Amino acid sequence: MENQDWIYTDIVKDHFLNPRNFLMGDEKNFDYNAVGTVGNPICGDQMKMYLKIKNDTIVDLRWKTYGCASAIASTSALSELAKGKTLDDALKIDAKMIDDYLGNLPKHKFHCSVLGHEALAAAISAYRQK
Amino acid sequence: MIYLDYAATTPLLPEVLEAMHRAATRFFANASALHTPGHLAMNEIESARTLLAELVGADPSEIIFTSGATESNNTILRTFAGCRIETSPLEHHSIIELKNSLAGTKLPKLYSFMLANNETGDLLDLSTITQKAQSLPAPKTSPLFDPVSDWGKPLVTDRRGAYLHSDLTQALGKIPLDVKRLNLDYATFSAHKIGGPVGVGALYVKKGVPFQPLLVGGNQEGKRRGGTYNTVGIIGFGAALEKLQREQSWRIYDTRIRALRDSLAKRILSDVPGSSLNTDLEKGKSLPNILNASFKAAEGESIQLYLDAEGIVVSTGSACASGDIKPSHVLMAKTGDAEIAHSSIRFSFGLNNTEKDIEKVMSVLPSIIDRLQKISTIEIKEK
Repeated sequence: MENQDWIYTDIVKDHFLNPRNFLMGDEKNFDYNAVGTVGNPICGDQMKMYLKIKNDTIVDLRWKTYGCASAIASTSALSELAKGKTLDDALKIDAKMIDDYLGNLPKHKFHCSVLGHEALAAAISAYRQK
Repeated sequence: MIYLDYAATTPLLPEVLEAMHRAATRFFANASALHTPGHLAMNEIESARTLLAELVGADPSEIIFTSGATESNNTILRTFAGCRIETSPLEHHSIIELKNSLAGTKLPKLYSFMLANNETGDLLDLSTITQKAQSLPAPKTSPLFDPVSDWGKPLVTDRRGAYLHSDLTQALGKIPLDVKRLNLDYATFSAHKIGGPVGVGALYVKKGVPFQPLLVGGNQEGKRRGGTYNTVGIIGFGAALEKLQREQSWRIYDTRIRALRDSLAKRILSDVPGSSLNTDLEKGKSLPNILNASFKAAEGESIQLYLDAEGIVVSTGSACASGDIKPSHVLMAKTGDAEIAHSSIRFSFGLNNTEKDIEKVMSVLPSIIDRLQKISTIEIKEK
């Protein structure tokens, strides 16, 4: 296999092929107390973020997506960055940080990395409104 | 690598490469020149022209070489600028966009319908398309493919003075073609879908029909297409055509390749939950080498790249770029379902594919789809 010629960087590829913290199957499999959904399948991308929050800190999280390779890789990266952070710190993670972490997504794919962040923000917002 | 994207483009055939290599050293002279090397180059071009003409049932004088299908399509639609132009939402972008910018209300009218669809491989059912057309009463049509002889009836039996163009790019070599029996006035061809080089195509223009050159220059192609002859490219196209004709490739597509395609379809439906086909496999309803399938709750681009990581090359109808996520206009027009379009994969076969390739695809595809379905926000009911 000639994988070195992939269109994405090795880190993006690794997060795409081995995404971290995704929720396999039924969401009941994960004990969460906040959830946020953004996008819709008609537009081709949907993201759902599940958070387990204790003392204003994200102690664990999972996500699900109907999305492209960049959305999968960037949300995988985001989930690693957000784990263990306080809610305020987690909200500070932006698309550029994810892009830096992944070693630059192709330019036309930059927008896909926003989806995970938006779902995270939606979950935190829902938690705070409880 | 397992290449299953032949409908996008094909690798150069060894015969083509050899012919082009020979041409680059022996037939480099300007084919319009009167000197001997020029004359020899022109002889080669005329041989390629005769080959294409014979293959599609045209007279050599009715064939014009171009830079490819896009130029061919542009030439014909621009000939009808300001006239009524009717086409379908299933066409290639070049046709749809030209129609939108050029169509007017003058007569004569031009119909432009692709014989075989690029994405699904479906063969034209003109009767349904013309019924949908709003502007004029539907012309009388007959089924394109005779279920007994498999092909051959005219596309349109009563055109009421209109002209008919068809992009035959995807169909060339895959099914028998005869422009006269298809009742065409114009047809588009391209070299790179049949193992020839990119940058060479052709137009069939029936004797006596309206024609306006797109590129005005010298006297090349009987003043119908200006510009120095692309001798090397045309010779490459000729070599690919020669192989098609010698092997009667449409027979191989109809038997061995059809069997491969149908076998993959059958295995996808039986082994992959949530799968559905966007190509009608019935004989005469689609090209034998294209299979378009959708996988519920799994996003097309992710499927494409997971397959790519396994060394399997396919294409998807879910294009996600520049923040503008538009699913395939063809699948949207055909199914009206954005999820089907976003979850679609096109497998397109060439003569090099074998049963082993199907085995390899089926050894990884079910687990790729299962994984994407399990992390998907869209629920799929377990079988």
